[in-house]
Amino acid sequence: MTAAREAIALPFVFLTVLLLGGLRIADTTQLVPPSPYLLVLGLLLVRVVVQSATLAPEQLMSASRSALKNVNGFVVVATLWVASAQVLAVLMPESGVPRLAFSVFFLILLLNTAAASPDRPRLLRSLAVTFGAAFILKFVVLHGLSAPGEGTIRRVLQALVDSVTLGALIQNVPRPITAYLALGAVLLYLIGLLLLPHRAASPASSLVRSAEATDLQR
Amino acid sequence: MGETTTRALGLMLVVAYATVIGWLFARQPQTIGQLTGGLTSVVGAYNIDDQAFTDALRFFRNDQFVEARLAFERADPAVRDARTQFYIAYSYYRQGWGRLYHDDRLYAEGLKAIDRAMALAPAGRLVVDDPTLGIHTGEEMKAELEAGQRRELSDFNPMRVFRARK
Repeated sequence: MTAAREAIALPFVFLTVLLLGGLRIADTTQLVPPSPYLLVLGLLLVRVVVQSATLAPEQLMSASRSALKNVNGFVVVATLWVASAQVLAVLMPESGVPRLAFSVFFLILLLNTAAASPDRPRLLRSLAVTFGAAFILKFVVLHGLSAPGEGTIRRVLQALVDSVTLGALIQNVPRPITAYLALGAVLLYLIGLLLLPHRAASPASSLVRSAEATDLQR
Repeated sequence: MGETTTRALGLMLVVAYATVIGWLFARQPQTIGQLTGGLTSVVGAYNIDDQAFTDALRFFRNDQFVEARLAFERADPAVRDARTQFYIAYSYYRQGWGRLYHDDRLYAEGLKAIDRAMALAPAGRLVVDDPTLGIHTGEEMKAELEAGQRRELSDFNPMRVFRARK
């Protein structure tokens, strides 16, 4: 990995994720930092990223590297952590039962992913699918249900949903630009993960996987 | 460029970027004016718009308080100047002042403005040497606005109609 990528590109990508992911543009503009719970989930996500060899921490910090290189490496890991927390924050609904459900869902998902111990390509595919699904659920489904209705039928349906769910489902809907910024933050985070220094898949693990595939075919 | 230079430069840039992001999270600017003004004030390069301030003072002295506040806000778009915020608080005080009762809503806005002004003043000490004013310090203004919002027995004193606006 080049010095420019480690010292400049990766920290900038992850800090931009922190910035874009925190923006909530409604009547007022708010910059929301990730909550302590999300910072814990962010740590779990970093753990999974390291476990899957998507990030090889020994290539960022080790005794054989100079102090400046180690500081650069530490900055990458620290910014990856806050960006991981922020990307989960941006995908989580703002209030009510959906927020609680997503909180539990992300925790179980990360624990399950850690237990499954996927390799780098599988983890990246899995994160892309999970983040994509969460984005659609929050910004398309939930915000669609919660958006102020224009027609009578829409307003009646919204009132029905609101009363049936005791107001637990309805969210504050920000301006559409927030969804674009959130999508940008998620994509940038996935690009950042792709750019991280990673371990090459070991021949042993490839052999194990091909043996498993052969067993399955039989 | 050598690798060490790249790494050192990158570290400095990242620290600067992280500082800006931290500042944004802490300050929560709402407008581009607040954003640019806040950033320039960090490096000591922020100045208010003198023409707008002069206009605002003229409105203020003519008891045109709404117009004065609009001009003060134009003069200090980043809300970084203690003296301008003091005058904004003063405009709320004068507009809300009444012989029989004070407007609590305007006084509350005035309190917010004077709190901002005192927070911006060096060591919280705010003195405005304007001979046309009856109140010259942040503390006096804050006390006056807080007293105006309190309900006391003295509020029912008929002699209060002879009190003068400061």
